[in-house]
Amino acid sequence: MIRFENVSKVYDPNIIGLKDVNIHIERGEFCFLVGHSGSGKSTFIRLLLKEFEPTDGTITVAGRNLQRMRRSALPYHRRNLGCVFQDFKLLPNKTVADNVAYALRVTGQPVRAIRRKVPEILSLVGLGDKMNNLPDELSAGEQQRVSVARAFVNHPSLLIADEPTGNLDPDTSVGIMQLLYRINRTGTTVLMATHDREMVDKMRKRVIALEDGKVIRDEDKGLYR
Amino acid sequence: MQFKFFFNEAVNSLVRNWVMSVAAIVTVLVSMFVMGLGLILFFNFQHAIGELRNKLEVEVFIKNTASPDQINELGDEIRAMPEIKQVIFVSKEEALARLRKNLEGHEDVLDALSGNPLPPSYEMTLKDPNQIGEVASRFYENPIIDNTPGTHDGVKSGGETSDRVLRVTSLFLIGGAGFVFLLTVASVLLISNTTRLSIFARRREVEIMRLVGATNWFIRWPFVMEGVFTGMMGAAGAAILVLVTNRFIIESVVNKMPFLPFNADAVPLFWLVLAVIVGGTMLGSVGSGLALRRFLKI
Repeated sequence: MIRFENVSKVYDPNIIGLKDVNIHIERGEFCFLVGHSGSGKSTFIRLLLKEFEPTDGTITVAGRNLQRMRRSALPYHRRNLGCVFQDFKLLPNKTVADNVAYALRVTGQPVRAIRRKVPEILSLVGLGDKMNNLPDELSAGEQQRVSVARAFVNHPSLLIADEPTGNLDPDTSVGIMQLLYRINRTGTTVLMATHDREMVDKMRKRVIALEDGKVIRDEDKGLYR
Repeated sequence: MQFKFFFNEAVNSLVRNWVMSVAAIVTVLVSMFVMGLGLILFFNFQHAIGELRNKLEVEVFIKNTASPDQINELGDEIRAMPEIKQVIFVSKEEALARLRKNLEGHEDVLDALSGNPLPPSYEMTLKDPNQIGEVASRFYENPIIDNTPGTHDGVKSGGETSDRVLRVTSLFLIGGAGFVFLLTVASVLLISNTTRLSIFARRREVEIMRLVGATNWFIRWPFVMEGVFTGMMGAAGAAILVLVTNRFIIESVVNKMPFLPFNADAVPLFWLVLAVIVGGTMLGSVGSGLALRRFLKI
């Protein structure tokens, strides 16, 4: 699903984002990306989204080489990825339903399909009764559920979560983790960057640890440590 | 294309930044209105010049010393010219009678004259107004025409008048075009600034659109529409103002000052309104296009 081959990213002036990273993540895996701030987690994720190019090496996502991908193909690449962020990235002046519908609209889905899919996915994340609320009227945990719903509504083959529980209390975090786990069970590959030691240790999934841009550990059923 | 969705996004954004939107709309309105006024003037002058050219005539004044035979001979000569449509002989008495009529109410001025100082003349209209200069020149050297030595002031032709009108008109038009150009630049810049602000106001939204895989044009369309709407609204206002001006202002000018060559019917209103609306819409799309190229990095 994801393959990094000798990938390096150097920001000018000479700040190392990633250094010679080799990673292979299989389709359907659930994988944690751990490390301190500045260890390269965000660089890793932004490279996957092709927000910028690596200085060196090749990245393949879902069989496609990102370096050889044309700019015009970029939107279609991103539709194949779902993204969840620490700060939710919801549109404050659109209702919950409209926020989710947004991801369907940009893919040019017919209005009828949007009307059917949005309530479906929102009740899946447990927000069937908050469809017409604005994001501000929801709790942080609920907002993150909306964001997960938006990421998953297109049924992407890869779901990327960047510190999805970073702003949430432990109990709420468990709910989000369960949601991500359920999504993973449908066959979607999930890559989650996190600081949440407890969660990583509890889940016992594959853990990739980064430090100063290098992979220092990569183990199945790993711990945060 | 999801027209309704883009339309709603554009309208929402216009309403949210209404101060800038109004400023941009008003600028478009002013520039298109000035362009409309320029066109009204242009059409009126065109009309006036046309009228003038149809009425164009050559008039030759005859020396008081000429004998009746000489005068008749000149008349025959003129009638023999193939370019002439109509010739009228104006005798001294008739010339005075015309002058008296023109001065209606102030006839006493004429009482101060001793005798009749006006010369007799021939007035001719031509089949083709373009031949005026050539026909007029045939009389320049004629001995019985009342030329001041060294000049041809005994021959008057409408050609000079129309040339003068044309010269004044083109000055007017060049000045007006320059003004319209400046206003156009101002409105393009204002619309582009409005678009820039709305891109800025929606940068989070644009970022999210990119993340969920919106194509470039899907992101651009609402902004383009916003610019086009701004242009259209300004243009619609300008079109109404132009129509009102043509209907009422020009009419009242004509009523009060009938000697001015204005005529509300001289203007092809349909084309004028079309020009104003197309112009305004283009200002809008060019303005927002400029801002998109510079500020919307996708």
